[in-house]
Amino acid sequence: MTNIVEVKGLKKSYKEFEAVKGVDLTIEEGEIFGFLGPNGAGKSTTINMMSTIIRPSSGTAMINGYDVVKQKNDVRASIGLIFQEQTLDVKLTANENLMLHCKFYGIDKNKREERIQEVLEIVDLTDKRSNIVETFSGGMKRRLEIARGLLHYPKVLFLDEPTVGLDPQTRNHIWEYILKLKEKAGITIFLTTHYMDEAEICDRVAVMDHGELIALDTPEALKNNVGGDIIEISTEDNIEAKKRIEKIYETDVTESDNKTLTFQVSKGSEFLVNFVKEFDIPITSVNLRRPTLNDVFLHLTGREIRDETLSKKDLAKQQMRGRH
Amino acid sequence: MEGIMAIWQRDVIKFFRDRARLVGSFAMPFMFLILFGSGMSGAMSSMMGGSEASGPLADFDFVEFMFPGIIGMTVFTTAIFSALSVVQDKEFGYMREILVSPMSRVSIAIGKVLGGSTVALFQGLMMLIFVPFIGISISFSMILQLIPVMFLVAFALSSIGLLIATSLKTSQGFQMVVQVLIFPMLFLSGALFPLSGMPAWMNFIVKINPLTYSVDMFKKIILQPEQMAPALREAMGLNLSVFNHVITLPEEILVVGLLSVFFVILATIRFSRIEA
Ligand SMILES: Nc1ncnc2c1ncn2[C@@H]1O[C@H](COP(=O)(O)OP(=O)(O)OP(=O)(O)O)[C@@H](O)[C@H]1O
Ligand SMILES: [Mg+2]
Repeated sequence: MTNIVEVKGLKKSYKEFEAVKGVDLTIEEGEIFGFLGPNGAGKSTTINMMSTIIRPSSGTAMINGYDVVKQKNDVRASIGLIFQEQTLDVKLTANENLMLHCKFYGIDKNKREERIQEVLEIVDLTDKRSNIVETFSGGMKRRLEIARGLLHYPKVLFLDEPTVGLDPQTRNHIWEYILKLKEKAGITIFLTTHYMDEAEICDRVAVMDHGELIALDTPEALKNNVGGDIIEISTEDNIEAKKRIEKIYETDVTESDNKTLTFQVSKGSEFLVNFVKEFDIPITSVNLRRPTLNDVFLHLTGREIRDETLSKKDLAKQQMRGRH
Repeated sequence: MEGIMAIWQRDVIKFFRDRARLVGSFAMPFMFLILFGSGMSGAMSSMMGGSEASGPLADFDFVEFMFPGIIGMTVFTTAIFSALSVVQDKEFGYMREILVSPMSRVSIAIGKVLGGSTVALFQGLMMLIFVPFIGISISFSMILQLIPVMFLVAFALSSIGLLIATSLKTSQGFQMVVQVLIFPMLFLSGALFPLSGMPAWMNFIVKINPLTYSVDMFKKIILQPEQMAPALREAMGLNLSVFNHVITLPEEILVVGLLSVFFVILATIRFSRIEA
C-alpha cells in the first residue's frame, strides 16, 4: 500500500495565535480518515492547508506525491473538496454547476455527459438535474456538492463537516453515499466532524484539540485505550457513592448532570454482578456500555465534545447556509 | 483556455437569466434621456443663442448630443459593476470552487474581465433601441465600428472593476467605492454636457480622464463631427484636443487600448495573490 497523503510538521499561525501546532500523519490509499475535534480545534485550517487553500506557516504536506505549496495545480487536480461552507452557484441549475466544474477541471468533452449522469446517480439527484439550485433543500445542496467533488475522479476527497446543520436522516443518507463511494471508486476520504457517530465509520481517527493531534488510531483501538467498559450508575447518595467507588476500585469517577456517575472498569459484566451485590448505598439505576469516541475524548482531555447540541457557531453556520 | 471560456460563459448565462436586471438596465438611460435630455435641451439651446439663433448653432440638438454619452454611461457602469460578481462569489463561497480548481489564476481573471466586457457590450448595444425615438440615424457600418470600440472600453472598465473587487470583501464596500469613482469620472467626461469654457484645473482632470476619450470615440462614430459646421462642432465640444492637437479616433483607440492592457495586467497580478 502506498501513502497517498503524507503530512509532516504542518503548522499555521495567525499572528501570535497558533491555530495548528504541527501535525504529522500518513494516509493509505483507499482509507477513510476522520478528523475529530471540537469547534476551533484547527480541523478546517488543517484541511485547508492540505488542499492548497491556505499556505502553511511551516511543515510539508504531500498529496498523491505532489507538494501542496510547490505543486499546487497538480494537487488541485488530484483532490475533490467539499467545504464546510456552501459553494454552489445557486442561480444556476444542477447541470450547469456540474458542467462548469467539468470545464474548470478540463474533463474530456466526450466524457462529461457520462460522468455527470454517474455522479448524479450516486447522490440520487438525477431527476433534479435541470432545476435551479436555489430551489434545493439543504441536504440536496450538500449531495450536489458531493457529486460535484467527485466529477473529476479525485484521488482524495476532502469533506469538511459534510453533514453539519443537516437533520439526522439526511446525515445518514449522506453517509450511505460516502460509503458507497468508497466501495465503488476506491477513493481515499479525509473528513472532519465533531459528531461521534460519524467518526465511528472511519478506518482511522485523529483526535484534534487546540491545534494538536492528541490521538491517532482506529476507532476500536482508541476505545480500548479508554480502559475497558463504561459503567453508569445513579444512587440515592451520589456524593458518598463517588467517594466510595474511588476508594474501593481505584478508578476516576465523573459525575454528569448531578445524576449519573460514570467510571471505567476492565471487565464490565463480571464487575457489575459483584458490584450490585456488594455496594451498600441503594442503587437507583445502572448501565453498562462499550466506550464511545466521546469517552475517548473525555479520557484524553477531561472535557466532553458536545455531540448533539448545536453551539452558537454551528447555528451561525446554518444561517449562512440558509442565506441564499 | 477552456477555463476562460467557462468563467465567461457563467457570467453571460447569468446576465441573460436575470430578467429584472435586463429590464432595469434600461431605466437609468431612459430617465437620463427623457428628463435630462428633453428637459435640458430648451435651456441648452437658449444658451446657444435661443430659438432665433442663426446659422449652424440652430442645429444643436441636446438629446442627439447626449445619446453617445448615454451609451458610454451604460457601458462604463455595466462593465465596472460587473466585477461585483467577484465580490459576491467571495461572499457566497463560489469563489472557492473556482480557486481550488487547477485553472490558472490568470485564466480566471481574464475570463471574469471578458465576461464583464461582453455583458457591457450587450447592454450598450441594447441602448440602440432608443435610436428611432431620438431622431438620429445610425447606419449598419456605424454599428460595426461601435462594437469593437464598445468592447475595448468595456474591457478597460471591467479590468478596473476587477482591480477594485480583488481588494474588497463586501458588496456594499465595492458599490460604494465604485460609485465614488465612476460618477465624477462620468460627469467630467463630456458624456452628459459639452465640456467647453471650464476652469483650467477642471479641464486638466477632463484630459486625464480615460472616460473622456472613450465617450469621444462614441461621439465620433455616432455624430460624425467631420460633417458638421465648425461652429456647431465647437459648441458640442467635439474638438477634443491635447496640447493643441485635435485627437483622432485611432489615437483614442490606442490610448484606451494601452489603458486596458495596463489595468488588466494590474488586476490579474492582484487577483493571482488572493487566497481562497
Ligand atoms: N483567518 C484567520 N485568522 C485568525 N484566526 C483564524 C483564522 N482562521 C481560523 N482561525 C482560528 O484558528 C482556530 C482553528 O480554526 P478552524 O476553523 O480550523 O477550526 P475547526 O476545527 O474547523 O472548527 P469548527 O469545528 O468550528 O469548524 C480557531 O481558533 C480560529 O479562530
Ligand atoms: Mg471547521
